[in-house]
Amino acid sequence: MSYGKKDEDADTGLIKIDRTQVFQEARLFNTSPINPRRCRVLLTKIALLLYTGEKFPSTEATTLFFGISKLFQNKDAGLRQMVHLVIKELASSAEDIIMVTSTIMKDTGGSTDAIYRPNAIRALCRIIDATTVQSIERVLKTAIVDKNPTVSSAALVSSYHLLPIAREVVKRWQSETQEAAASTKSSGGFSLGFSSSSANVPVNNSTMTQYHAIGLLYQMRMHDRMALVKMVQQFGAAGAMKNPAAIVMLVRLAAQLAEEDSQLRRPMMTLLDGWLRHKSEMVNFEAAKAICDMRDVTDAEVTQAVHVLQLFLTSPRAVTKFAALRILHNFASFKPSAVSVCNPDIELLISNSNRSIATFAITTLLKTGNEASVDRLMKQISGFMNEITDEFKITIVEACRTLCLKFPNKQASMLQFLSGVLRDDGGYEFKRAVVESMFDLIKFVPESKEEALAHLCEFIEDCEFTKLAVRILHLLGVEGPQTSQPTKYIRYIYNRVVLENAIVRAAAVTALAKFGVGQKDPEVKRSVEVLLRRCLDDVDDEVRDRAALNLSLMQEEDELATKFVKNDTMFSLPYFEHQLVMYVTSDDKSAFDEAFDISKIPVVTREQADAEDRTKKLTATTPSLKPPKAGPTKAAPSAADAAASASAAAQKYAQELMQIPEMKEFGAVLKSSPVVELTEAETEYVVSVVKHIFKEHIVLQYEIKNTLPDTVLENVSVAVTPSDEDELEELFFVGAPRLDTDVPGKIYVAFQKVNGEGALPTTTFSNTLKFTSKEIDPTTGEPEESGYEDEYEVSEFDLGGSDYVVPAFAGNFAHIWEQVGAQGEEAEETLQLSGMKSIADATEQLAKALSLQPLEGTDVPVNQTTHTLKLLGKTVNGGRVVANVRMAYSSKTGVTTKITVRSEEEGVAALVIGSVA
Amino acid sequence: MAGLFKRVYDWLLRTFWATEMDVTMIGLQNAGKTSLLRVLSGGEFAIDSIPTVGFNMKRLQRGHVTLKCWDLGGQPRFRPMWERYCRNVNAIVFIVDIADVSLLSVAREELHSLMSQPTLEGIPLLVLGNKSDLPNKLTVDELIDAMDLKNVAHREVSCYGISAKEETNLEAVLQWLMKFANR
Repeated sequence: MSYGKKDEDADTGLIKIDRTQVFQEARLFNTSPINPRRCRVLLTKIALLLYTGEKFPSTEATTLFFGISKLFQNKDAGLRQMVHLVIKELASSAEDIIMVTSTIMKDTGGSTDAIYRPNAIRALCRIIDATTVQSIERVLKTAIVDKNPTVSSAALVSSYHLLPIAREVVKRWQSETQEAAASTKSSGGFSLGFSSSSANVPVNNSTMTQYHAIGLLYQMRMHDRMALVKMVQQFGAAGAMKNPAAIVMLVRLAAQLAEEDSQLRRPMMTLLDGWLRHKSEMVNFEAAKAICDMRDVTDAEVTQAVHVLQLFLTSPRAVTKFAALRILHNFASFKPSAVSVCNPDIELLISNSNRSIATFAITTLLKTGNEASVDRLMKQISGFMNEITDEFKITIVEACRTLCLKFPNKQASMLQFLSGVLRDDGGYEFKRAVVESMFDLIKFVPESKEEALAHLCEFIEDCEFTKLAVRILHLLGVEGPQTSQPTKYIRYIYNRVVLENAIVRAAAVTALAKFGVGQKDPEVKRSVEVLLRRCLDDVDDEVRDRAALNLSLMQEEDELATKFVKNDTMFSLPYFEHQLVMYVTSDDKSAFDEAFDISKIPVVTREQADAEDRTKKLTATTPSLKPPKAGPTKAAPSAADAAASASAAAQKYAQELMQIPEMKEFGAVLKSSPVVELTEAETEYVVSVVKHIFKEHIVLQYEIKNTLPDTVLENVSVAVTPSDEDELEELFFVGAPRLDTDVPGKIYVAFQKVNGEGALPTTTFSNTLKFTSKEIDPTTGEPEESGYEDEYEVSEFDLGGSDYVVPAFAGNFAHIWEQVGAQGEEAEETLQLSGMKSIADATEQLAKALSLQPLEGTDVPVNQTTHTLKLLGKTVNGGRVVANVRMAYSSKTGVTTKITVRSEEEGVAALVIGSVA
Repeated sequence: MAGLFKRVYDWLLRTFWATEMDVTMIGLQNAGKTSLLRVLSGGEFAIDSIPTVGFNMKRLQRGHVTLKCWDLGGQPRFRPMWERYCRNVNAIVFIVDIADVSLLSVAREELHSLMSQPTLEGIPLLVLGNKSDLPNKLTVDELIDAMDLKNVAHREVSCYGISAKEETNLEAVLQWLMKFANR
């Protein structure tokens, strides 16, 4: 047993295993006869290296692989298992791995009860390539229905991995997979218990096979909704599935189906309700989460789920409590009333020793609580604020901030809380969160301004973070002069000039200057001047420069000086950034011949920027009625995400369009519409269109996907006919020469506006796809010589008023409404929207259809029966468009809306209404 | 009774004088490597075997000697890998389809390029002309010329004509191989 001793030595030294050393030792594989024991130890070392992230370079991996392949001469089962395991891991880095295919296939053989069979199956799927998959089809098919669950699982998981390379082949194994999912073969192993051979597969009572089978079945039927429904109903029946993980899959699937098809919602809800009473907690949680995440879930539907979660809140296990609380916390963000029944139970958790639970409890309560309970909660939080880590503190501060914006009346107690925590110890991130919350208070809750500024002044007296000090000084400069006692702040600011580092001093000088410039009180003005003069002796250049500039500005006329120092307008920063990025990353050399033109950047007033900011902050922390979905379904992006993705999409479009030489002269894209689907998603050719509006042109961008297998489309073009040919004239089109299966291609059709720049033509386009269809010869993989011409008609689409409108922000709706009304024209329309199921639905749909921005928080309806939606936008020519939509909901008639649109430009109001009428 | 003695004798040999030797079997696709190996190990000749993807490994027991036969795939994609499996073996068996004259030149190229590898210096080579049961076949002398075996230097070279299907001359092959056990 001298080897045994060596093994132990190796074990203690595992940590020190070195790649090059192992590679040297690998010569062991070539010795004859083979010593299985030593080879296994060496293979284990290789596996350890691979699992811990070490990468063997391709040549080394290949050498290792060939060495290992020689080990197949030995029959030792344990060694063989290890060989399969390591080959599976090496498959990605070594070359010529196909070499062991025959040998491994022998090991997967159907009749053997060898212990390495599952390992062989798993290794096989890693080394196979698309062309040889068919040769292992029979092996895998029998393995899937094998009576041993370990083998069956291995085969199912392998099939799953084969999907990306050979979907069609794997799809043929449906009936086997179905059988594997349905069988409850946990008892298969008992008979084996009698045979004492060590090579036999050990008893395996796991039902995990069902989970794997369900996963694979879903992949196979992903595009067939009816089959999925059948699958959920068949396997969802009580007792059909033993494995909780498999049921969790079904829960997610059911939720997804209910989401996609409103017809299925009722039966799926019934199933989900049933799962709430399942005996596995895992399933209960998943079902409760699915119900809470359901779109537009009603109070009645959710009661049961909330009740189940409430029971879990009193569970003795921390993880159960945490899971339940987390679901409730998310749900509370958009339906606080439904969660409030749990409040007594949640309150007990505030003092839980597990701080994660306690933090979630507090933040949930902050969401569900009414104005009355806020004070009490705040007191409770302050109690344990200094016991938790910065991260949790930030979560709590964020929750408080949203609360302030929601209940402005509570600002006093909030402010007290915030100033309290500001004095606590904490890192930069935490302090920043607190300071930003106070900034928001100052911005959006004017009553709190003076007191908040006082707290901030106090804070910078002893602030170790330069960045924060600078920001606060800037804010003092902006807000201070407008307060009743500006002199109070001057002292604080000048203290910084005396005591701080150069960066803070410079900021302080600028802030000081804002008190002096345009100051009516000569006394104050004189003292600011004195203070600034002292700064002229500063050791730092920047500080001296700023002082000098501001001193001379103070001598100037007030008007000029104000323009410099207190400029209230600024560039639209997101757009500015985008333009700069476009300029800097331009591929075209001629773009750099001219300097960047800043005058093209739209200027927004501070009020507008603030309004935008506030919407973002509110939506970021309180999601709208449709929560983002977790899990496998498509996430419905929140408003903030949508804005980000929209600007990303715009950039992408612009870049793509710029690559077409003819379109360069069109100028910049003024507006790109969202994607309009012109076909159903399951048709042979999937077509969608994006409308791009330019100054004098309109470009239609078709995206076409050919879903027919084994065919290519050549010379693809679209015949587009506007219904009204007087206004639009087709200029040219850019076709797609060749479309392979499932590779989307783009076609552009450009139109000129006949009536010139300002015209806003509306029309309906009818489109026909024209192409030559060719089949692919299965033997060569090349398309056949001859094809046939074909046409394919897709749906019509409109170019309407909303395509010319971009959403815009503003703070005061009534003011703009009157302004635009005074100089523009008005159009009115009453609509019956019977398809809408709720006010919330209608609100979202209308804002989208009109392409206008909801203002003053009217995008979240408070009342379920009546609502007024206030919308603002700008046309691509720059004129403002305002809309006032009044809605009433009754269960009989749906949503009745009265839309009034006012516009600065002639004809636009009617146009915009036309896009929803 | 004699059989029993033989088995006991074999077992004694295996236990106390057991030796193992490695033999690599190569050749173009469809030359009959896998079939030959199957027949050598006592299996039935199968007319419709599938192409070997990679390699097969079989152990043959002859008295006290265990022959570990590495049967490598003959398709072009596997040929670069032959050399790896020929290193340090006791003998290389190169199998040629003598009924298919058109492939002989390719076989010759492959054989000579393999034999020129420095790593394989001195390893005995046995060239087998398989499918001698078919009508239009080469004789052994013709095969030696066609394969240009006279120019294979620095090693022991032999050439036999065999038929895996009819099991002709297989014993000679084994005898030849056994000579190199324990070297």
